[in-house]
Amino acid sequence: MSTASAAVSTSATDHSFLLRKLHSLSGVVPVGAFLVQHIYAQVLALKGPDAYNAHVAFLVSIPFLVAVETLFIFGPILFHGGYGIYIWYRGESNVTDYPWVGNWLYFWQRVSGIIAFVYIGYHLWEQRFTGEHLASHPELAYGKVSHALQNPLILAFYAVGMIAACFHFGYGLWLFGCKWGITMGPRSQKISGVLCGSVGAGLCAAGLVSMMSIYIHP
Amino acid sequence: MKTIEVQVKRQLTPDGESYWEEFSLPYRPNMNLIAVLQEIAAAPTTKQGKASTPITYESNCLEEVCGACTMLVNGRSRQACTALVDKLEQPIRVEPMSKFPVIRDLQVNRQRLFNDLKRVKAWIPIDGSYDLGPGPRMSQKTQEAAYPFSHCISCGNCLEVCPQYNDETGFVGAAVIGQVRLLNSHPTGKMNAHERLMALTGPGGVHECGYAQNCVKACPKEIPLTEAISQVGRDVVIESVLDFLRG
Amino acid sequence: MANSRIIIVGGGLAGLMAAIKSAELGMAVDLFSIVPVKRSHSVCAQGGINAAKNTKGEGDSTFKHFDDTIYGGDFLANQPPVKAMCDAAPGIIDLLDRMGVMFNRTPEGLLDFRRFGGTLYNRTAFAGATTGQQLLYALDEQVRRFEADGKVTKYEGWEFLSAVLDGNRRCHGICAMDLRSMQLKTFAADAVIIATGGNGSIFGKSTNSVVCTGSAQSALYQQGAVYANGEFIQVHPTAIPGEDKLRLMSESARGEGGRVWTVRDGKPWYFLEEWYPKYGNLVPRDIATRAIHKVVYELGLGLDGKAAVYLDVSHIPVETLNRKLGGILEIYEKFVGVDPRKHPMKVFPGMHYTMGGLWIDYDQMTNLPGLFAAGEAEYQYHGANRLGANSLVSCIYGGMVAGRTAAAYSKNNAKSAEAVSSTVFEQELKRQQELNDALLKGQGGENPFHIWKEMGELMTEHCTVVRNNKGLRKADEQLVTLLERSRRMNLSDRSSWANQTLAFCRELTNMLQLARVIARGAEARNESRGAHYKPDFPDRDDANWMKTTKAVFAPDADEPVLSYEAVDASLIQPRPRKYDIAA
Repeated sequence: MSTASAAVSTSATDHSFLLRKLHSLSGVVPVGAFLVQHIYAQVLALKGPDAYNAHVAFLVSIPFLVAVETLFIFGPILFHGGYGIYIWYRGESNVTDYPWVGNWLYFWQRVSGIIAFVYIGYHLWEQRFTGEHLASHPELAYGKVSHALQNPLILAFYAVGMIAACFHFGYGLWLFGCKWGITMGPRSQKISGVLCGSVGAGLCAAGLVSMMSIYIHP
Repeated sequence: MKTIEVQVKRQLTPDGESYWEEFSLPYRPNMNLIAVLQEIAAAPTTKQGKASTPITYESNCLEEVCGACTMLVNGRSRQACTALVDKLEQPIRVEPMSKFPVIRDLQVNRQRLFNDLKRVKAWIPIDGSYDLGPGPRMSQKTQEAAYPFSHCISCGNCLEVCPQYNDETGFVGAAVIGQVRLLNSHPTGKMNAHERLMALTGPGGVHECGYAQNCVKACPKEIPLTEAISQVGRDVVIESVLDFLRG
Repeated sequence: MANSRIIIVGGGLAGLMAAIKSAELGMAVDLFSIVPVKRSHSVCAQGGINAAKNTKGEGDSTFKHFDDTIYGGDFLANQPPVKAMCDAAPGIIDLLDRMGVMFNRTPEGLLDFRRFGGTLYNRTAFAGATTGQQLLYALDEQVRRFEADGKVTKYEGWEFLSAVLDGNRRCHGICAMDLRSMQLKTFAADAVIIATGGNGSIFGKSTNSVVCTGSAQSALYQQGAVYANGEFIQVHPTAIPGEDKLRLMSESARGEGGRVWTVRDGKPWYFLEEWYPKYGNLVPRDIATRAIHKVVYELGLGLDGKAAVYLDVSHIPVETLNRKLGGILEIYEKFVGVDPRKHPMKVFPGMHYTMGGLWIDYDQMTNLPGLFAAGEAEYQYHGANRLGANSLVSCIYGGMVAGRTAAAYSKNNAKSAEAVSSTVFEQELKRQQELNDALLKGQGGENPFHIWKEMGELMTEHCTVVRNNKGLRKADEQLVTLLERSRRMNLSDRSSWANQTLAFCRELTNMLQLARVIARGAEARNESRGAHYKPDFPDRDDANWMKTTKAVFAPDADEPVLSYEAVDASLIQPRPRKYDIAA
């Protein structure tokens, strides 16, 4: 374990504050918002392939799609994930020495972040960048994802990724409130804990149920 | 005969190799770890019968207000003076804090903490120590809210247990943020809140906190450190946005 | 000439205040402390700090504070400096308030004051139950500010060994030891201020901190500084005996109905209630102290044969206890591991405060020119007993005066340290190095920790609560034996890095010498005054003993020589001290 010997000198070129704050913010908007939107779209699958495909058709009709995607989705995800890994690398989890609730959450936030990042990366590669070109054929969307889920390994991986992403988002939302000083005291943090936990659990349930629905109804 | 079994992680010099030594003392009731270390000092022979040396460690008040005797006891960072042998699992494992350079045995160099207090200007810049009349008025509510933070004994427990406190992040840690919270709430201290907050936007500032909340758990003075982090976290954002907009 | 340089030894309230004053006056300050200054013993003071601001319409005044202090000190303190301190006290509170001390407040947002022992007025400002800690931190922060500005240089982890004196015994600096590298070094200065606190360690276990050994004062005494009123040691009646030290149990435990008892013939014996039916457990501090002492040492009725009796609050409803005594009961539980709400607490009187100290004039200067002293290390402000909540104010005030007068001395004595022949520094360094070398090479069979333990038990038995000349004589004789034995100490650690045993042995020899000053002073003083109580001489004897004891070290005889100086009682006429009327 490294030791801290000298005070770090203040340097004018340090941007860690700004980057860290952007990281925190990007996790809520747009990455978090994108997750919510994404799960909403997936829930539409419960109404049948047509509803799902129609929504995808709406999405691909957004003007300047590639630019919007890059600016508001891929870019932020890459930044959030990439800088998140940097944060993870700089911390030193000690949860085996101090197995306290907050410390476990700190640990799982990092683990879930990595899982979600890998999952999202794979998901994008598989569903967005390879196979049928959905932007020109949105009607194939349901079939494409349903087909992928038929592989039990992929299904399991999607389930784990969904749980990780939702946990990461729910707990991240709570952390956002604490660290930006929106919820400062024990009482407000407890209430926000219940709320954020519900958001995470709700999203996760919706995501898993709709995923199973897509799996069952190919 | 009932005994007290102690294992101490020793290191003779800052660059030396660490090694473990075992001691076995006749049991007496109501001993704390300091009394055990004193006993070893008076007769420093290991359990194996090897002549050793007294164990070097820092201590002073032995009442948990000076903050000197922080060490790892059975893997947990705490004050040795409140570590009662009768409540500890044996053998008692004693190690120096891991986040600070070892000087010798259990004594470590915590100068970084004091340097960080300098960095955030943790003082009230009074005009002079002459008799310049009474200080500012302060409501009971403000005093009661600030008082817990004035209890910080700079023991370093919150830093030792913090997963973000290391050379890599340069994080100042909860203790220092607590002092910023304290001084910024004082009517005169407020006047320099800007400087303190901006210092915390620099390297190792408040943004490095990962909110694992270990600090609060480990603090022997039960200081609401995460509240300070939240409060200062907010103030820092507001101050830096305003600073940007003003510029 | 470059900035005058002042060395301050000790980073408690007195040392830090002196540093602030000197730095403010443009001096370059070198601040030496064994521990990081924020860990100094001043943090332990709980109660509060006295200042007669008369905020409660009681008609309090600084003169009444002065009168209480002199009366509490049983008319042994020189009155003019005490008056000056009491006059300065309200300003000191304001200063501390401006520095950001979180004092308790009134609903209007003003400073709150409460009542303390030895007075009828609400004149004690307080910051919860940790006033000393809050005050020390405020001064620590100010000194850190000066340090950041380059006006104060801290030498934390350095131990003072001796003063550097020229042939005229004028002080030009100090010799100190780096407690990491164990290297000795001399430091030059135009003036030196000693603020090294009390000497509890001489009594083995006390309520003092580990560093309170009195070693610096003793070293200076052996170099020719006069040590005054050494025999006056304040004992607190209810300390919690620990294996490592004693911790205070506040008197409020008795105030709320706590009962003191021991076991006699297998049954509880409430000896205070039996002996003092009128006041019972609420007898004044010194009476309670002496009664407990008698039960343990004369009647041999300490609990389990040890020096302790019970202080019992377990008969009081838990709810009441938690409301009124919660904080102090938690301290007991934390350090003893026993819940005092269910089981009686074990307590015993414990050495608490050193009234005596280096002799100083009204400018805080010792008899060695250029050497100043402030705080518990000097003798000026408490006489024969210290008034509750006066320690903090005396430390800060003493530091203020010393910082100012040392600065003035530095400016007026143009012969700067640089002009002094380097040989005085070299000689002192050599002398100290030889002492270290001798200790490191010593091959005798004596264990320093055993000598310390024996000294502590000896001093606690004979030189604290009750004193008699036979016991004091015996104590001094045994101290001489212990000193003999200390010359044959065998160090279990002979290394040259962070060797705490070596530092301890240096302190131990000094403690033994100072212990003799205490024992001899007590033996000579055939009266009872303040904390000094002799059953054979139960009354105060102003005709013969209203005078300051001055101990001077005689190097050839290796013993203290006592002389006396009349007390300056020019402001208040002495009168008998009787608290039991009010108790």
